[in-house]
Amino acid sequence: MALPRPLHHIAAHARWLYPLVVVVLASILGHFLGLGLGLLIVGGGVLGASIWLIWSSLQGLGGNVPLTLEEALSLGAPSAEEEQKRSVLRALKDLEYERAVGKINEEDYAALAQHYRSEAKRLLRAVDKDLGPERERAERILAERMARGSAASAKRDEAAAAAVVAGDNAVPNVAVPNTEADWDSDTANDDVSEPAPLKSPTSNTAQ
Amino acid sequence: MWESLPEFGTGVLYAVLVSAAYTFAVSIAAGRSRPRLLQSARLGAYGTTALVMLGVVLLAYAFITHDFRIRYIARYSDRSMTTPYLFTALWGGQDGSLLWWLFLLSAYIAACVRWLEGKYRSLQPYIIATLMVIVAFFAVLMLYSANPFETSIAGARVDGEGLNPLLRNYYMIIHPPSLYMGFVGCSIPFAFAIAALVTGRLDSEWIVAVRKWMLFAWMFLSVGNALGMKWAYEELGWGGYWAWDPVENAACLPWFTATVYIHSTMIQERRNTLKVWNVVLICITFFLTIFGTFLTRSGLISSVHSFAKSDIGAYFVGFMVLIVATCTGLITWRLPQLRAQGRIESVLSREAAFVVNNWALLGGCTFIAVATTWPLFTEFFQGQQAMVGPPFYNRWMTPVGLLILALMAMAPLFGWRKTSGVSLKRAFRLPSAVMLSVVALHLAFGTRLGFPAYVLDPPTYRGIIGTVVQQLSAITPLITVAFVSFNFAVVYQEFQRGVRARRKNAAEGFFEALGMLVKKSRRRYGGYIVHLGIGLMYLGFCGKAWELEQEASLLPTETAEVGGYKLTYRGSRREVDQEKQMIFADLDVERNGRALSQVHPAKFIYNQNGMAPTTEVAQINGLRDDLYVVMGSIDPESKRATFRIHVNPLVAFIWIGVLILMCGSFVSLWPEVSLREVSAWSYVRATAGVTSGVMFAIILASAPAAAIENDRDVLSRQALAQEARARALPSAVAEPSGPESGATGKSFIAAQGVSTWSGLSILGGLMVGAAVAWAGRSRREASQLES
Repeated sequence: MALPRPLHHIAAHARWLYPLVVVVLASILGHFLGLGLGLLIVGGGVLGASIWLIWSSLQGLGGNVPLTLEEALSLGAPSAEEEQKRSVLRALKDLEYERAVGKINEEDYAALAQHYRSEAKRLLRAVDKDLGPERERAERILAERMARGSAASAKRDEAAAAAVVAGDNAVPNVAVPNTEADWDSDTANDDVSEPAPLKSPTSNTAQ
Repeated sequence: MWESLPEFGTGVLYAVLVSAAYTFAVSIAAGRSRPRLLQSARLGAYGTTALVMLGVVLLAYAFITHDFRIRYIARYSDRSMTTPYLFTALWGGQDGSLLWWLFLLSAYIAACVRWLEGKYRSLQPYIIATLMVIVAFFAVLMLYSANPFETSIAGARVDGEGLNPLLRNYYMIIHPPSLYMGFVGCSIPFAFAIAALVTGRLDSEWIVAVRKWMLFAWMFLSVGNALGMKWAYEELGWGGYWAWDPVENAACLPWFTATVYIHSTMIQERRNTLKVWNVVLICITFFLTIFGTFLTRSGLISSVHSFAKSDIGAYFVGFMVLIVATCTGLITWRLPQLRAQGRIESVLSREAAFVVNNWALLGGCTFIAVATTWPLFTEFFQGQQAMVGPPFYNRWMTPVGLLILALMAMAPLFGWRKTSGVSLKRAFRLPSAVMLSVVALHLAFGTRLGFPAYVLDPPTYRGIIGTVVQQLSAITPLITVAFVSFNFAVVYQEFQRGVRARRKNAAEGFFEALGMLVKKSRRRYGGYIVHLGIGLMYLGFCGKAWELEQEASLLPTETAEVGGYKLTYRGSRREVDQEKQMIFADLDVERNGRALSQVHPAKFIYNQNGMAPTTEVAQINGLRDDLYVVMGSIDPESKRATFRIHVNPLVAFIWIGVLILMCGSFVSLWPEVSLREVSAWSYVRATAGVTSGVMFAIILASAPAAAIENDRDVLSRQALAQEARARALPSAVAEPSGPESGATGKSFIAAQGVSTWSGLSILGGLMVGAAVAWAGRSRREASQLES
């Protein structure tokens, strides 16, 4: 069950606010009423945090906890090819440096640069190939959403026109589009859905 | 809760074990077939971390409230101890130090799991699982063999035994945590290595990630060892800083292998070779951290550092067998994938220089490891332990050290893959010229300045070998100075060539080019700065060749002269505080006919049962040399006192070198900002992270200042006392003084002040870092939503 929006906001900020409150409270009370009390407050805070963390972890086992956007993104970590590509680009950068300070002769530079560039091209092609289905899927979802948006907009225009014709001043029973709210609710719904097949070798078996 | 604190503490340790086992299982499941469980595993890791922290907080609370029902509290604290030392007692004994070890490991785990978000998706489950196995091992160890919450059978005492006075030293407060940070930090690269082996993701990218973690751990190993040296120098009173004690050796073994790894990983990155070697190095480094802990705590080899004998050795042996079996099995399984795809093409290449340096470092490491465990071998084969002493190590480690220095100095001059003769000649020209000039100057003026190039010691061995070793040893100072100057010239040349290249290509000013050079290539130039620091440390070590030592037995007003210092013995006095009697000797010091200062070496006799008198060294520290005075004994009747007076040249360069090494490490560790995060916030976040690091450096750097401040307090009090005595007011001296007014009390107050300041600094840094990270995170989320 998704949390109401204000609670969702509080929950999102709790991971920073909670330790801050505990530390501040412990510092103040510890200073005025003794270090022992300060430590007890820290201990209580840490105990609360550990219970919350382990409870959240257990909830995740059933798969009934929606992934946040950040968590979902973290599942889409770079593939092996992307990571190798970075390594090759770094090697190219180093090679340029070696050449600039005269530690490598032109012949070696040309051979090595050629080698790294062809490796980079191969990896870029591999990354592109991996991303192909994802890109198509994203484009399809976007197209569907845009189509839904224009249908809703047409429906709203019709309702407004009907209201004007009937001389009714009441607000029509059609949700006023709120970009931010719509985005939130959409993402909240999407969050529950299964993550897309991902690039890493093990991620295409999402439960 | 506080009524049953010991039981609750033990319960928390059980909870740690259960939580670690649960997280391990979930991680494995996430890695095998259910990737969505990864989030549960991550939360489980955080939860385990929080539980360990709870255990530490409970133990700290027990110390603060003097809960002497707990055996550990009763043994390592008493009611007279001030708050900073009560916190120090957390790691002052075996049981608590294991919990502290686990706490630092948990901090690393939390940082690593946070850092892994969005990275290395396929490795993450196995990294977390490996780390949880380590956590579980330490939890089992504490629960079944060294529980810090165990109660005394005899019930609560009225007062505790107190912390060993030798540990009541500023450097002892920060030395163990630093060293543990280094030891524990090696767990993260190990977890990465196991994860890479299990998943078969053995490309070069994971090794890049590991390098930063290893560098971080390496920096703390360096700092921890240096702080240990500083403590030994100030507290033990034998005139030196490194005695090749088994525990010291055990602490430096992983430093060697970590150094090797930091260099050899570059070869894998650039040349896609040495894959097996690097994985093996990570495994060995982690193994050595556990082995070192085993040596310290099992009581197997006698050492001044050893904790009490206990049965935890068997647990460590079991864990070491598990590590060796797992690593060997996994490496053998993945051997086909670990085969090198590149090769070393020329001996005149940087990778070849690195490989030779690797072997030199590993040779040194093996030598120390064998010599340290030699008593075990001899006991096994001959039935009795035979130890090797410091002269043996000094004699044989010196050439190895010089070889490492030479290779360290030369390696940057080579290019990757191969270096042409012309490039090499050009690269060697300036450093060779500088080295030859310095050698000439040393030969010409060394003796006159008190630093002769040739120092002949008595032979250690008989016959021709003895003569050869003696002669080689005699020219060690000259060779060291030559190599150090070569190293400095190489570092200068590397910076100069880089700046010149940038100025040529980008039309930048000198300072702009220098800044951009370091910014664009932090790892490389951070490494050169580290080389500079290590060069200075070598210079400091070399000072031992010129040290002077003299024993003197003096009556009041008599004098002794050593190395340009003239010491006049003025008399002795006795002071008493709550916990000890202090016998001071007062000496006036002159140098070249000019009054320099006063020194007050002392003996402290603690009230603690069975505690031998401690030696309190008096020092005058300088860049050129340290005057180091130790009082041997004093005759209460005649006031005749015996002293051992050392003049230790260039010791300050060791501490300066360590600070430079830290700066270089920070430069290398400065976080790279990815293209996705190019915004003001990413830089601000990076700045916050580094600010916290620099603050830590300042805290460490300010330690000598604090110590000096303490000494100054003690000195000024003693000066006042002397003045009072001169005015025939003996009561001012003889009257027992409380801890708040005595020298020790002053030290405690100063230490408390420093600790408060340090605590506030860290708290401030963390709060700023958290706030900035929070803001940065919001910004990043917004960008992700936009995209």
